[in-house]
Order: sequence, then structure tokens, then C-alpha cells
Amino acid sequence: MKITVKCFASLSRFTPPEADAYPIVPGDTAGSVVQRLGIPPNDLKLVFVNGTHAPLSAPLAAGDRLGLFPAVGGG
Amino acid sequence: MPTRHVSPDALLEQRIRELAQPTRLPDGRELPVLPFYCVKDLARAQGRTRLHGQHEQGKPAGQCVARVERAALSLGVCPERYLRNFEAYSLEEQLRLLSAHVALVGLGGLGGYVLELLARAGVGAVRAADGDEFCPSNLNRQLYATRRSLGGYKAAAAAARLTLVNPAVAFEPVARFLDEADMGRFLAGAGLCLDALGGLKDRAALARQAALAGIPLVTAAVAGQSGLVATVLPGGKVPAEFFGVGAGAEDSQGTPAPAVATAASLMAGEALNILCGRGARLAGKMLVFDLGQMSFETVTL
Repeated sequence: MKITVKCFASLSRFTPPEADAYPIVPGDTAGSVVQRLGIPPNDLKLVFVNGTHAPLSAPLAAGDRLGLFPAVGGG
Repeated sequence: MPTRHVSPDALLEQRIRELAQPTRLPDGRELPVLPFYCVKDLARAQGRTRLHGQHEQGKPAGQCVARVERAALSLGVCPERYLRNFEAYSLEEQLRLLSAHVALVGLGGLGGYVLELLARAGVGAVRAADGDEFCPSNLNRQLYATRRSLGGYKAAAAAARLTLVNPAVAFEPVARFLDEADMGRFLAGAGLCLDALGGLKDRAALARQAALAGIPLVTAAVAGQSGLVATVLPGGKVPAEFFGVGAGAEDSQGTPAPAVATAASLMAGEALNILCGRGARLAGKMLVFDLGQMSFETVTL
């Protein structure tokens, strides 16, 4: 099972090399993937699964798109 | 002609009809256009009418320019300066823009570009606040930051620029930082609020005050090559509320000009959609982009 992972702004350094085909296992959630990527919980403010805001507990399935956003406030 | 009994408005309409030039658009269609210098002359004449026959030379008052442009649009005549808006904004929509009043908070990176775009689009009235002065680190992205404006108030530089870009815009600069109580007063009379603040500290307060005023808020933020733009209708979800008031990613990623100008353009595009009466396209949503990857996506909050 593969998903795509998109890490924005300061989280881009956590982007895995295989971001367009990131392997997941049955039972994986947004939170378990975030943990595996090594993203500090305090740095992550918004999670999107398939373009919709989702909690860390959201289950993931093959083909899902996971978007991860830090706090962004520059102008 | 018995002009003695003709009202000033009817006289203006008559002059606009006389001066309108049938103009061929690049695609071959014809549109009556009021040439730029005719707007200026008619606006000067408006000044004379108001001053009871006293001759007024030089620069016409901005409100007179706006009055002439609105009268032309009401007659289906396009003022030349808006000719290339045609189709993107119909004459009816252009008239709506010229009659609109927006409140803009922040005149730095986002605010400078947003103001420029709204002024060129012909938004009738803009009240804008920023208590900041230009410093050298603004030069990488802020449209009105120049070697000459360094040390001056951003609000003053914006006002000077607007008189050059579009005098029809009634611009009210406020060279102060607003606290939440100030924001409430600042938004009075506006039909739309634009959040062009820098940092996260004041964004949630501005969203609260826009909701209290019952008006839509268009907000944007940038960090590095990434940015987001969203519209918050009263009671809707606010991006800044997810982010808290601490440091944003911009502290480590910076705010480069392309990302800032992209976010500002999207803000202005959405603001004009709303002011035209087409509805907010980003209500309850967030457009996120990454210029490093050249990716754009609209997500649901």
C-alpha cells in the first residue's frame, strides 16, 4: 500500500525520499505516519487527508494523499 | 441648448455620451469607452460645479474622478483605464467595485501587493492600517519599500503610491498598529476585511472582529516557498486559530517575494470575486501552494 505525502514550509525537511509512493501498513493512521517521519508533534498544526482537514487518528488507505502543515504566519 | 434647467448629474451623463468613443477590442467587438483624458477633464469640471463656478486647474479631486467613472459605468461606458478589465469584470461588476469599501490590515509584503492590485482594479474605498516603518529587511519583497522610503511609514508610502496609481480610490491610511478594540472601529463601514498581517499574534483577533462586524475576511500567510490563502465567513473556520500565537515557520523559512506576491495576488483575486458579488470561492477552504514544487491545492478546513 502506498500513499503520497506532502510536507509544507518548515516541515519539508521531513519529506521522505519516496514521498510520491510512501509505503504504509494496514492500521496506519495520519499520526503513525507523522511519527515515523520524525515530525515533532508541536511543529504540526494541520493535517489534510485527500484534501480535507483530518485528525491524527484518521486511518489511511492505499492511494491517499496526506498533507502536513506547520504554523504559517509570514506576510 | 437650455442647460440652465439641466441637473449637474444629467449634464455629466450628457457629456459622457458625447465624449464616449466606440472602441474595438482586440477580439473585434466594439465597446463605448470614455478616454482617460476625458475622465480627467470631466472630473475637473465636477470640481468647478462644486466650487460654484470657480475655475479649478491641475489635478482633479479623486472623488470627482470616481464620480465620473461611476456615472460612465452606469451608462454602459467603460472608462479607458478599466478597458483591460473588461470580460474579467463586467461593467456592472466594475461599478460594484468602484462602490465597494474594504479594510486592509497590514501594509508590508502581502498588504503592499494587495493594495496595488485592488487600486488598479478600481476598488472605490480602502482603509488601510500599519504602524510600521520600512527597514532594510523589507526590501526583498515589500512593493513600497525602496531606498527612498526606508525609515518612512508604510502607510504614508502607500498613500503616495495610490495617488499615482488610481486617484479614484478613496484611500484612508492609518499609521498605527491596531489592538483588538481598534480593529472593531477600523472595520466599521467596510464590506470586506483583508488580513495582510505579518506573524500570528493578531490574526485571530482580526478574524473575531471581522465576524463581529458580519463581514468576510480574506486571509493569507507565507513561509518560505509555501503559502496559504483562505476566506473566513462570519462563524467560519479560521486558519490562524489552528496555528496558535507562537512562532510561525516563516521565522526559519523567511518570506521570499514570489511566495508573498503569489499569496497577495490570490487574496486580491478572491477579494474581487466577493466584491463583485460572485461569492467567496475559498469560504471554509484554504488554497495551499508550494512554489518549490509548483504545486497548488485547495483543501477543506
